[in-house]
Amino acid sequence: MSEPSAETGVTVPMAAEPGRVQRRIGIGFWLSMSWIVLVVLAAVLAPWLPLKDPDANYIVTGTRPPYGPSWTHPFGTDQDARDLFSRVIFGARTSLIIGFVAISFGMIIGGGLGIIAGYYRKWVDRTISVVMLILLSFPALILAILITSLIDRGLFTISVTLGILAIAPVGRLARAATLSFAEREFVTAARSLGASNGRIIVRELLPNVVIPMAALALLGMAVAIVAEGGLAFLGLSIEKGFTWGKLILYGAGARDLERAPWISFAPILVLFITVLALNYAGDRIRDYFDVKEISL
Amino acid sequence: MNYLFQRLAMAVMLLLAVSALTFGGMNLLGDPLFNILGPVAADTSNPTSVAKIDAAKEKYYLDRPLPERYVRWLGDMVTGDFGVQFSSTGEPPVTNLLKERTPRTFQLLVLAQFMATAISIPWALIAAARVRRPTDRISTVTSFLLIALPNFALGIILKYLLGIKLGWFPLTYTASDPFFSRLHQLILPALTIALPAAAVYQRLLRTDLVTTLQEDFILMARSKGVPRRRVLVRHALRPSLFSFITVFGINTGALIGGSLIVETIFRVPGLGSAIVEAILREDFPVVLAIVMIATTTFVLVNIAVDLLYSVLDPRVRR
Amino acid sequence: MTPRRGGGRARGLIALMAVAGLTLSACGGGDAADEPADEPATQDTTADTEAPAEEPVTEETLVEETIAPEEDLDPVFGGTLRYAIEADVDGLNPTRNSISAPGYVILNAVFDNLFVYDENDVAVPFLAESGTPSDDFKDWTVKLREGVTFHDGTPLNADALLVNFSSLRSSALPALAINPFFPPLNADGTDPGIEKVDDLTVIYHLLDPQAYFPAYLTGQLGMVGSPTWLEAALVDPTLNQSPVGTGPFVFSGRSEDSVTTVVRNEDWWYGDVYLDAVEFMPVTDADLRVELMLNAEIDALHTTHFPSIDTLEAEGFKQVIDETGEESFGMINMAVPPFDDIRAREALALAAPIEQYQLLINEGLGTRANGRFVPSSPNHNADVVQVGDDIAAAQPLVAEYCAERGDETNPLLATTTCTDGKINMELQWAGPSVVQSRIADILEAAWSEAGFNVTRQEIPQDDHIAQVAVGAYNVVTWRQFGAPEPAVDNVWLLCRTIGAISLNWPRNCDEARDEVLLAAAASTDPAERASLYQEAEQMIADAYTYIFFNHTRWSNAFADNVYGICDRMLPDGAHARCYSGGAGDLSTVWMQ
Repeated sequence: MSEPSAETGVTVPMAAEPGRVQRRIGIGFWLSMSWIVLVVLAAVLAPWLPLKDPDANYIVTGTRPPYGPSWTHPFGTDQDARDLFSRVIFGARTSLIIGFVAISFGMIIGGGLGIIAGYYRKWVDRTISVVMLILLSFPALILAILITSLIDRGLFTISVTLGILAIAPVGRLARAATLSFAEREFVTAARSLGASNGRIIVRELLPNVVIPMAALALLGMAVAIVAEGGLAFLGLSIEKGFTWGKLILYGAGARDLERAPWISFAPILVLFITVLALNYAGDRIRDYFDVKEISL
Repeated sequence: MNYLFQRLAMAVMLLLAVSALTFGGMNLLGDPLFNILGPVAADTSNPTSVAKIDAAKEKYYLDRPLPERYVRWLGDMVTGDFGVQFSSTGEPPVTNLLKERTPRTFQLLVLAQFMATAISIPWALIAAARVRRPTDRISTVTSFLLIALPNFALGIILKYLLGIKLGWFPLTYTASDPFFSRLHQLILPALTIALPAAAVYQRLLRTDLVTTLQEDFILMARSKGVPRRRVLVRHALRPSLFSFITVFGINTGALIGGSLIVETIFRVPGLGSAIVEAILREDFPVVLAIVMIATTTFVLVNIAVDLLYSVLDPRVRR
Repeated sequence: MTPRRGGGRARGLIALMAVAGLTLSACGGGDAADEPADEPATQDTTADTEAPAEEPVTEETLVEETIAPEEDLDPVFGGTLRYAIEADVDGLNPTRNSISAPGYVILNAVFDNLFVYDENDVAVPFLAESGTPSDDFKDWTVKLREGVTFHDGTPLNADALLVNFSSLRSSALPALAINPFFPPLNADGTDPGIEKVDDLTVIYHLLDPQAYFPAYLTGQLGMVGSPTWLEAALVDPTLNQSPVGTGPFVFSGRSEDSVTTVVRNEDWWYGDVYLDAVEFMPVTDADLRVELMLNAEIDALHTTHFPSIDTLEAEGFKQVIDETGEESFGMINMAVPPFDDIRAREALALAAPIEQYQLLINEGLGTRANGRFVPSSPNHNADVVQVGDDIAAAQPLVAEYCAERGDETNPLLATTTCTDGKINMELQWAGPSVVQSRIADILEAAWSEAGFNVTRQEIPQDDHIAQVAVGAYNVVTWRQFGAPEPAVDNVWLLCRTIGAISLNWPRNCDEARDEVLLAAAASTDPAERASLYQEAEQMIADAYTYIFFNHTRWSNAFADNVYGICDRMLPDGAHARCYSGGAGDLSTVWMQ
């Protein structure tokens, strides 16, 4: 799934060849997951790792920052002689929190609405679908900057704003998945045994809907992280602290790009690999469980 | 016909909902009076300021209830009047700004879509012709990488390599330049939009081509001795274009969003950079106008794609 | 919702700035690098065309050097000069819009001023034929040159001046800067501030003795627009975008945020104009401006970014450099807690990381400021030193403040003034801007260590100025002062400019200081005047409302094929001061 597709809520079919579903999840998946785990661990443990202080200015007397990559500063330093390696890791904390909170919000609200719509159908479905459609018709980034500029630029606001953007794509997927399961034997069987609607949703449908959603969650997290970068680029990311997007922006001026490309490129590299890993892992999960028939 | 009517009714409803939400949100969360008058709005002790406040309230109907203001705005907008920009000094009509900026964004997006098409079709043909061979694998990886690369990162990379290091393209856009210079200035931003889009199109088209190539009529043509390349271009391409067309259309909406960032990076004064600035300044009439333009385009393109799709493919005709 | 009283943003209001003849400057900016910021006027300029810039220039190094050797070349007609300015302007009407440095660059081409500064910073008549004060310096008779017409054919006369003055007086914001010096309008709407004597003569009536009033007429107040156009613009404000003056260039077109074009005025009253046209292009990223210059995409630029000036010098571009203009500083609002208490202000100033700022933001290339005046100015007070870099001295003051007044309310943050012994404060700046964010990072780090809890607030420029004008701030980064004639800067300092909307942004009313400042404005004795300004410098420092970082260095740089920079000779035969606050005169410039 691609970023543009996530913006419109259209799932682009993956390259998997027709008639040839790979049944092995593949080494790529494990590599991707290892990277994700590594980044998450580094982010969580950052304060206890032997890292340089991300806010300290490591000025070498008599010289002018920025300094290029070296043993002391593997990623180099920024214009203020701050260690980019440790800034990228500390930046991961905020970026990942935003990605995680956003997609969790989208999953809970969007997933819930989608399952309800798919299970009850009729007017419930129609109402929810219309809400989704409205959300999808808003150009996503415009909605995001509108909300953040009208409310504030705190971590919470930004995460939830990006979460709102995730509602519609997640909701559509959950609805489609529910629709495809709602008429299966195990559901009809449960219903004939007198199970309540709530019980059927939680016991029978949810476990089946969760797998396609998990694939989407990884992709969605990537989209949210990228979207935060986009906001940062427009100067609308969080006010306090820094994210990958903000770090990239710090080095994106013409002169800094020319004399010290590492200021932007170090965080771009880490952001890119992370997004790539999330995308790839998400794709693999989807292919592995062969959920493509329920994508839209 | 009935279907078209339904789609149009739905579209109108959508636009109403989007405009009402934007209008309501901005007016409730923002402070229009302050945005119009600036500090004068807070200067309630000074009679001259109070006169200005009253005048602005009357002019912008700020003393009326919100629904009434919305209906007034809607009525004006439908007749093509987007109001005036919030400004204590200029108050130029929003349409002035739109007239100036829309063509630039339009040119940028057309150029980008053109580039994306021009890149993706040959790319998909090559990949499909060599399906599951190294060329195809490399192309799959490349498209995957391109899709994962955020547009601001791609923009910076292109700006660094092609603009700064190689110096092939100018770093700025100048509205007063002749058409072809401006086109030259638009290449980098257009490429930033086009590359990931091309990757998406390529993947779709390749998948469809591979499917088509397994169909009987292709096998028939091949068995009649039509050369492989000719089969690919003449016979397989056209029936494989359905999903390409759909996504091409729908993607236009997504590209409008992408143009916000790309216009900012490459300093193209189009609708994207205008709305960013307008949102920052809470220049509500401009924000509303651009949101409406973007949403309308998006909705109309989707309808057009649907119609085209049902015309092209009898199976989905309703 | 962040506590932003007042609410949203103000468009257009940069207006406050630069007002009227008082070329005011003010701006939320530090000097920075990539961003806009508006500025206004300034001071002396130094120039050296050909050669790389000289170091911080001072008032003495003036214009002689500008007459560079190249002048033996004969000027040729033709060419379009592309000039990159640091930001676009809201509007181009000197009586309705506030004009900042980039605005002056454009408007100087379209308008002529009644007075201009000569190379000794004395304001001398230009579009005016003469200016004569009354004995008490409260009334100034200004007589216009005969036979001048505006670009639209309207003749220049006393009535035109009346229309200009009334348009300015009724404007939303530029009026704020001139009203404090003129009597209020009469009940019948007539204006006691100006009086027509005959067809070419008016008298300005001032509230206070102003020995240097012509200095006001070198700025916005002295730019004369066509009355026909001004009256039409009152009805249709979109005309504010298409100015009509008497100047060397005629406005030809404007595409906001991209380019503003002016073309040669074939019958300029003051002589030949060489360039066919000038295109002004706003480029907010300072590094990009230099990059464009290196790529020959532009022919001229202005900048306050130290590293840019350094690069341009290394590359051998012609530069006119001026460091006598504005200062960059942190500014404190003393109207609300915690900074209504001098201990909190002093602690903030003591903890300010001024060395770090020089090293990182100015890349070691700037000059520290201790007050409003550069050391070479006679008004400079050598005893006044900007405190800073002393966190240890700041901490006890914070502790003392919190112990005594820590449970009061900071209305801006809606919290108590102190939490756990740390003072809660907001730091606001104009953005989005990478440099401004870096400045905030540096300030925040030092102030946190000293015991301040810093809440960051980055908002758009217009809004930022509006918030500061209504007093909705604790601490901001700012840039202003530096008019060649210091009296013009009194508007930022007097008690009478405090109100619901203040131009005395820190809201520091000091009657004794007012007396000193007004006395200096009325004094014709240079020695007395200098000692009065020095006294005022001490008073300003004692209040701890400004934390001076550095003197802004303005550079106007030109490509090699641009000649005739700073060549304007004045009617009395003196050389005109060439660049002021980043803006100069392009009438004598030519290209090969």
